[in-house]
Amino acid sequence: MSAAAKPVCSIGAGAGFAGDRIDPAVALAASGAVDTVVLECLAERTLVPALKARADNASTGFDTRLRRRLTPLLPVAVANRCRIVSNLGAANPRAAAQAIAQLASELGLHGAQGIRVAAVHGDDVLHLRDKIAWVRPVEGKLLGAHAYLGAGALAEALDGGANVVVTGRVADSALFAAAAMNHLEPGATALAGAISVGHLLECGGQLTGGNYDPIGQGLLSAADYARLGYPLAHVHADGSAEITLLDDAPGLLNADTCTLQLFYEVHDPARYATPDLILDFTGIRFEQVGKNRIHMSGARSLGPPPTLKVAGFLELPGYIADCEIGFAGTGALARAQRAAAALRLRLSDWRDEDIAIDLVGVNSILRAGSLPSLAAPAELRVHVSARCVDLEAAQTIEDEIYALTLSGPAGGCSVRSERRPRIEVLDGFIAPELVKPEIEWSQS
Amino acid sequence: MTAVRVGDIATGRAGDKGNVLDLTLVARDAATYALLARTLTADAVRIALNRVVPGPVLRYEIPALRALKYVASEALAGGVYATLRPGLHWQKAAIWLLLDLDIEKESKP
Repeated sequence: MSAAAKPVCSIGAGAGFAGDRIDPAVALAASGAVDTVVLECLAERTLVPALKARADNASTGFDTRLRRRLTPLLPVAVANRCRIVSNLGAANPRAAAQAIAQLASELGLHGAQGIRVAAVHGDDVLHLRDKIAWVRPVEGKLLGAHAYLGAGALAEALDGGANVVVTGRVADSALFAAAAMNHLEPGATALAGAISVGHLLECGGQLTGGNYDPIGQGLLSAADYARLGYPLAHVHADGSAEITLLDDAPGLLNADTCTLQLFYEVHDPARYATPDLILDFTGIRFEQVGKNRIHMSGARSLGPPPTLKVAGFLELPGYIADCEIGFAGTGALARAQRAAAALRLRLSDWRDEDIAIDLVGVNSILRAGSLPSLAAPAELRVHVSARCVDLEAAQTIEDEIYALTLSGPAGGCSVRSERRPRIEVLDGFIAPELVKPEIEWSQS
Repeated sequence: MTAVRVGDIATGRAGDKGNVLDLTLVARDAATYALLARTLTADAVRIALNRVVPGPVLRYEIPALRALKYVASEALAGGVYATLRPGLHWQKAAIWLLLDLDIEKESKP
């Protein structure tokens, strides 16, 4: 299909993670260039605090940023006839839908201006835990189990007249594909294209110059990063698409940024499983058809997957303590090295595999793969992270770092510490027929 | 023989899912892709990564997009929260383990 043909839908990527910027979605909705804005706000582990909140209070468990994100967006989206699709329902899409309808009313969107909000749920499969084929045995406390839903119920809700569709664990790409799904040519190839478009857009600014180190020149400026435009796609009936930026938005959209995102967090590029289809990305082509404008084509389907993926969340006993102490001025490196060695002596109860002590500014990120320093850093920090069996042990780590301010090398300063629960994601697989998405409506 | 830094002829990005670290390189042009495909074998990348993270490495080739994909399935044991590095998501920097490699360019006869 030619680039000039009218698209079946135009979709903007308004957010790529729960804490993402608010303004890109507002700019996309206000532009009139898109009929749907997608807010991807639910990483795998983002569900864990939501599950804990829901256990404490049944009317919570959705993204705590819901009001902050939607207050500026809802009126602009309604005024521009732009629909919103989001997974910010997290562990409780029904409560999220009610909260959105309530917020819309408060914003004056009621009566003739009222909106319809659809909650799509059914991803929570904890009650089916014994029917899930886990990749390894369940060890520790299983906090939750959520199947990845596909685009079908989301598309049904949109075509049923929803202004907002809010859901929980669905494939990120399905949030986007839903807008196109029922308007594509028949057959799996077109749907494979729409899902691939979603896959490209789901990380927002990472497609348009964010987290991108160009070869040679072309680096974005600080002002560009601060106002980075998020991508939008005009999807055609055959599943091909033009992917671009708003005209006045800074950013970089080229075949390299698209290729990096196409393969981001993909394992076998010839076999990428989504809830709706298994995709083969190896035939995809990116053609630069204008400034910051790419024509994508060539996605292929290998048919529907035999199972749906499930993300299970395990809470293991204990904590990880993560603490630092700073050093500055002449001799800072030597003092920090001595502090690090003293700390290891103080923490001799910890086995080597359960503790890491290194120097932030020297080798704490890439460790043995760090580049050699050309000059001693003027300021740096000693970092320790340790696996701790309980809060008492975590307190010991924090206290030993602080004790260096009095009893370690001179000038230990700027101490900080945090502790994290030990959460692991456990993958599993479930028969698709056991997972039944449902739609529930709210109205402002 | 002359050496060239990978990051001067290719761009890249690191991602993660659970225990799995994935690294994508996109070469500047077809000749560069051929050079990278010849030198950055799965085994060469495993050796480079194993200085820092454990386990095997699989390689996928996508010549039409000048891309090489490396998947290290045991590199991030326990996932994001289990790290003993400061803060979260250190693995976004892991692509520099490849970008900062020097590889040999065959000298012209």
